[in-house]
Amino acid sequence: MTSGVETALQVLEKQLNRPLETALEVCARCGICAEACHYYLAEPAPEHTPAARGEALRAAYRAEHDFLSRIFPRWTGAKKLDEATLAKLAETAFSRCTLCRRCTFNCPMGVDTPLMMRAVRAMATAAGAAPEILVMLADAAIEKGKDPSFFRDLFLEQMTDLEKELQAKVGDPQARLTVQRAGAKVLYVPLAGVHTILPPAIIFHVAREDWTLSIFEAANYGVFLGDTARAKEIARRIVDEAKQLGVREVVLAECGHAYAALRWEAPNWFGETFPFRVVSLVEKIDEYLEQGRLDLDPSSNRERITYHDSCNMARTGGVIEEPRRVLRAAVRDFVEMTPNRKDAYCCGGGGGLVALPEYQERRLKAGAPKARQIRETGAQMVVAACENCRLQIGELAHRYELGIEVSAVADLVVRALRLPPTRHEAERLFAGVEEPLPARKRPEGTAVG
Amino acid sequence: MTLLILTRLLALAALIFAVAAFTLRWRATMRRPLALDRSPAKGDPKSGVLYAFSLGMMPWAKESTRRHLLAYLRGIGFHVGIFAGLLALLVSPFWSWLPQAVLLAFAALTALGAAFGLAGEVMRWAERNLRRLSTPDDHASVLLVTAFLAATSAALAHPAWMPAMYLSGALLFLYAPLGKIRHCIYFFFSRLFFGLFIGRRAVVHPRSVTSRPSSVAGRG
Repeated sequence: MTSGVETALQVLEKQLNRPLETALEVCARCGICAEACHYYLAEPAPEHTPAARGEALRAAYRAEHDFLSRIFPRWTGAKKLDEATLAKLAETAFSRCTLCRRCTFNCPMGVDTPLMMRAVRAMATAAGAAPEILVMLADAAIEKGKDPSFFRDLFLEQMTDLEKELQAKVGDPQARLTVQRAGAKVLYVPLAGVHTILPPAIIFHVAREDWTLSIFEAANYGVFLGDTARAKEIARRIVDEAKQLGVREVVLAECGHAYAALRWEAPNWFGETFPFRVVSLVEKIDEYLEQGRLDLDPSSNRERITYHDSCNMARTGGVIEEPRRVLRAAVRDFVEMTPNRKDAYCCGGGGGLVALPEYQERRLKAGAPKARQIRETGAQMVVAACENCRLQIGELAHRYELGIEVSAVADLVVRALRLPPTRHEAERLFAGVEEPLPARKRPEGTAVG
Repeated sequence: MTLLILTRLLALAALIFAVAAFTLRWRATMRRPLALDRSPAKGDPKSGVLYAFSLGMMPWAKESTRRHLLAYLRGIGFHVGIFAGLLALLVSPFWSWLPQAVLLAFAALTALGAAFGLAGEVMRWAERNLRRLSTPDDHASVLLVTAFLAATSAALAHPAWMPAMYLSGALLFLYAPLGKIRHCIYFFFSRLFFGLFIGRRAVVHPRSVTSRPSSVAGRG
């Protein structure tokens, strides 16, 4: 047995908790899960069924843990793990499963195949068989957390420029974009790129939120590796930042895996319930609408718009109705795909696949069911509350000639915003100006796509 | 000692073995760690578990079972037959006390179960995916259960088949904890974890159990 295989098996043993053992034991191999998987729909072959993917790990598990399999391995399909099998398993887990959970929801038993695939990812990462780019991205994020001073000044400089842009967009010189301000109520954690900072900044300003910006990014590549230690280190940057600033809420950029990681998994990695609430930007916007803190004009978004449920946001995260309420308030012609919500198809870009160029062709092929769904809605724009989904759908639009634009929820909200009076205008109003001021024009030039 | 008594004793010994083996396996699984979920719940875990064991098992609840309705109903029928067969076997010493109609009902259920089991085995050979997925353990498990159901049905119809029922039952009890049939105990774990997941995270809302498009939509 090579050291890589030995390490992989040790990681499997370490992970073997009650849910994982259940997933490894419960499958009756009825094959009913096949069409639930977008890989199978795009390429209907037995090896693309979720059951077959699970069997690949079960074969190794049985060889180690099952009495009958140790005596008659062929009888139960058991097979000792070797270097070649590990490489194949790793390739399957990283490129043929986006961890979307659609198979679990469609299985009469509820077999958690994504849990098994995450276990394989962890085994492969420990054995050095994970895609290098994911390891590099995760390690770079950890390094950034160790010494943020290295890039902090540059980031502050960029944000000073962006603050001016914010002021121009909202027509209010008092608008502020603060970074790591202690005592703020909300800490917003963006993704890489100002496109995930400016629209939320406009929304926070208009909603009169007491907010500040994180210097870190919400993305967590440790999750894609199935590596809890790395994922925890990446999450620690935000958790520590939020604790130090004393915020009451952490609002995450529109990013599916970041939400699933910090909202649902990180408390378990740290073994504590955080002293702050974790919500996605979409949930926050929904709250603002409910509280009457945002005034939207749906006629600003006239095109037919459909919503793609990110698997991490919807099936894994439970953020299902919030984006729909926001979109119904922000757009004029909203249509659903079929199926939708917890039954929605994965776009094919999940599980870190959009970051792996070596699997681009496979990824775009697996996105065919989603492309078909989008086309059938007749929508001109697809909205997704996840950056990876947006990247994938953008590529699908090109590959399958869908003729659509792709947008984040926040971008459409900004387009539909009716700006309230500025402080100066409000003072005039309260000073007895007879005619109430009309709502100002919405911010121009906010990015969509 | 008659053949009937011998096979009955054999079945009893095998049943004791099966119960002991399943108990050990259950305890071994319960000894595996199960971390406390510290993320604040968005929904109600109990509702999720209730859904997972009730509405979530209905044929219309999942796209897969809507698409493969006959295969799903076959599976349900097979498992109903199994429960009926096991119950009939357990109460077999008291059959003479039971009304004829009850015995006939059990005979019908087990006969149907056997037919569904046989159909399942045919499907395992006929359908490409199933053929590739199946191991000898799968075939043996289905055939063993099918034989037991057929023998039980026959025994309910005519006492001459009772030794066959006890013998096939003994084989089934001996094999069940060792092979694929043991998935029966993990079913409860699996649906429980699934229910807790969807309940805590409010993935299945009481008001949106099925996905209903609000307006125009295509077929996925």
